[in-house]
Amino acid sequence: MSFRIKYILILLVFLILQIIWFNHIRLFNHFTPIVFIYPFLILPLSKSESLNLFAAFVTGLIIDLVSNTGGIFAATAVFITYMRKIYFMASKNPVQKIQEINIGKINSLQKIIYFGVFISLAHIMIFFLDAFNAGLVISKLQSILINTIISLIFIIFFDLIFFNPAKK
Amino acid sequence: MIRLLRYLSNKQSFLIFVFLELIAFILTIKTHDYAQLKLHNFQIEFAGAVNNTIHTVEKHFYLKSYNKKLLKQNAKLLEQLQHKIPDITTLPASIPDQYTYIPAFVISNQCSLQHNTLLINKGEIDGIQPDSGVLSTNGIIGVVQKTSKHYAKVISILNKNLKINVALKHSNYSGFLQWSGKDPNSFEVIDLPVNAPIEIGDTIITGGMSGIFSKGIPIGRITGYQLVHGQKSYEIHIKSFTDMTSLGPVYIIKNRFKSEIDSLKYNR
Repeated sequence: MSFRIKYILILLVFLILQIIWFNHIRLFNHFTPIVFIYPFLILPLSKSESLNLFAAFVTGLIIDLVSNTGGIFAATAVFITYMRKIYFMASKNPVQKIQEINIGKINSLQKIIYFGVFISLAHIMIFFLDAFNAGLVISKLQSILINTIISLIFIIFFDLIFFNPAKK
Repeated sequence: MIRLLRYLSNKQSFLIFVFLELIAFILTIKTHDYAQLKLHNFQIEFAGAVNNTIHTVEKHFYLKSYNKKLLKQNAKLLEQLQHKIPDITTLPASIPDQYTYIPAFVISNQCSLQHNTLLINKGEIDGIQPDSGVLSTNGIIGVVQKTSKHYAKVISILNKNLKINVALKHSNYSGFLQWSGKDPNSFEVIDLPVNAPIEIGDTIITGGMSGIFSKGIPIGRITGYQLVHGQKSYEIHIKSFTDMTSLGPVYIIKNRFKSEIDSLKYNR
């Protein structure tokens, strides 16, 4: 199966999962995992960046339309997708050719850190756009952290399915 | 031009990122009442801060004229106190303690549009609330529309959407003041009953029925009138006492019983 088709399928699966299942989960009464950003996190940076941004926008917008949240998820998805490049450029050993980075090939610890950073960014952004109050985001850091950990567990689980080391 | 296009094509993904984020933010704000309120407050605060800075510099040039106005007003008040004239024309008090006055400064004033507004340097923390009347030293100038923490946006009487209850000083017949939309000093009073005795030169005062302004604040002098609506009511032309193009110190008039009056008026 070509990468493009596989990727579109993953995107659709996560979009549907987020809409029909994860959006309705209230773990410990108020924690909702955000997993729809996973397909954008695993995209190789060599693929067309503009197309990725549009795909992120449309995916986020569909979730927004279903959840009646305006453009919160769209803004988050676009932000996460764009910030990946900056993350790798600013990392400890910046790679000369950013296009050569392949998420599937980085080691497990780096991957967990990478997922953790972007999931927490996504939760901060969603929380900020929902509350429209930066002060409230700071006072709710604990809740953001727990949300991030829950989402991270789910995303690592999915990552093990899609990038199973045993298959390599 | 080619350089610019080349630069933009290099930054293509960044431009797309900004564009998509903008759309998403607009969508978020449009569906978010609190966000809209915050944005609106930010707009008033921003406009207020900019205009306040300009005003801080500008006011030094106008101090002389402001002082003159205030001295004139003081003299008028002193005269009224000495002669114990019951009809105070500048700052009337119909029921003791019903109205309180908060001094402020106009920091931005529009006169050239059809729906003009102005900004004053007092806001929520000073106790300013929407629907409070605003007076200058010579008469009324508008009604507070929205407030932010430190500033308030006022619908000027030079706004075609604003109608204020007014009355003839000597007979108490009332009508509505509205701006003609042409000269900043010319206004019209509409819906005045046909049996009202009108004379050119008579004074028009606030009617006090809206609860926004107390009764008896002078507005202007009649310059002409005509019968309208099949000769069922008068339309009066007046020249206002306040020069709306030159505003400085103002007072926000607060009616302690406004919410009580409104609840009786609108809740059946």
